Amino acid sequence: MAAVAAEQKKVVVHFRSTGNAPQLKQSKFKIGGNEKFLKIIDFLRRQIHQDTVFLYVNSAFSPNPDELIIDLYNNFGIDGQLVVNYASSMAWG
Amino acid sequence: MGGSSIGEGTLSLGDFVASAKALIEKWKAIDIDDSLPDWQWKPCGKMGVPSEEEGYLALEGVYRNPGGRHVSIVLVYLHVLQEQIEDSNNFDDADIVSDDAWVQSSSESVHIYDYHVVYSFSYKVPVLYFQGHQAGGQLLTLDEIKEDLPSRSLKLLGESKWTFITREEHPHFSRPWFTLHPCGTSDCMKLLLEGVENKDQHVQYLPAWLSVVGQAVGLKIPLELYGNL
Repeated sequence: MAAVAAEQKKVVVHFRSTGNAPQLKQSKFKIGGNEKFLKIIDFLRRQIHQDTVFLYVNSAFSPNPDELIIDLYNNFGIDGQLVVNYASSMAWG
Repeated sequence: MGGSSIGEGTLSLGDFVASAKALIEKWKAIDIDDSLPDWQWKPCGKMGVPSEEEGYLALEGVYRNPGGRHVSIVLVYLHVLQEQIEDSNNFDDADIVSDDAWVQSSSESVHIYDYHVVYSFSYKVPVLYFQGHQAGGQLLTLDEIKEDLPSRSLKLLGESKWTFITREEHPHFSRPWFTLHPCGTSDCMKLLLEGVENKDQHVQYLPAWLSVVGQAVGLKIPLELYGNL
């Protein structure tokens, strides 16, 4: 039962724009915990129609696209959600 | 010590050295799988006089298979050993031959990387230098390194030839190494460290920086580095 619940667990992702990045009309989304962080990156790129976006979490790092969302949530989630900050700037471009 | 400069995303040499030492300790304390070696501080003074402040961070001997994630050669050998033990039990010669062929091809395709983090006095940020070689010691060309880069980096490489990965002289050796251009590093760092308390900023600087440059060169940094110890 517990294993099944973990497999299907959805994570609430709270997007927060910083700097000059466009804001989202809706800032919270549910996403499958067994998806990779890449899914969040691609989703946000589509939402704000920008290809160069820099995503990071409050624990002061930019997650690798290969990380599982559930792992990020379990380690760095606060108040039942994973806060993902985004900015338009990029280190290279 | 340079607290205000970290707020701008840059750091002083003293902060760099302190952050490097903190990273080495934290890296040792977390449970990293065997595929990643330890970071080391390599002192190197001017005119042959070693100094505590002058030096760079090094992560040497990172094994990678093209198109795959880090792989430990120890695991490859262990696997072979196991297969051979199994084989010797049933004396199946055909299997041993096919195993040998498999080992041959995997040791040829393995890429071994050295990563150096050097302080840049002009940008006041850490700069990544790296090079890769084959198991036989032959240095990898940019085309061979491209096999190990994430698709996003390949795209950037095509778009911005001179401001992403280039070949430059390693500041401490007179040989060309690949390097990640430091422009834009301070902007990223400013964002990443915004919510971090001043007293922790220099400690968290290098882990935060690694999360960004690691993605660019396909070096996966363990999540544990970002947990609270």
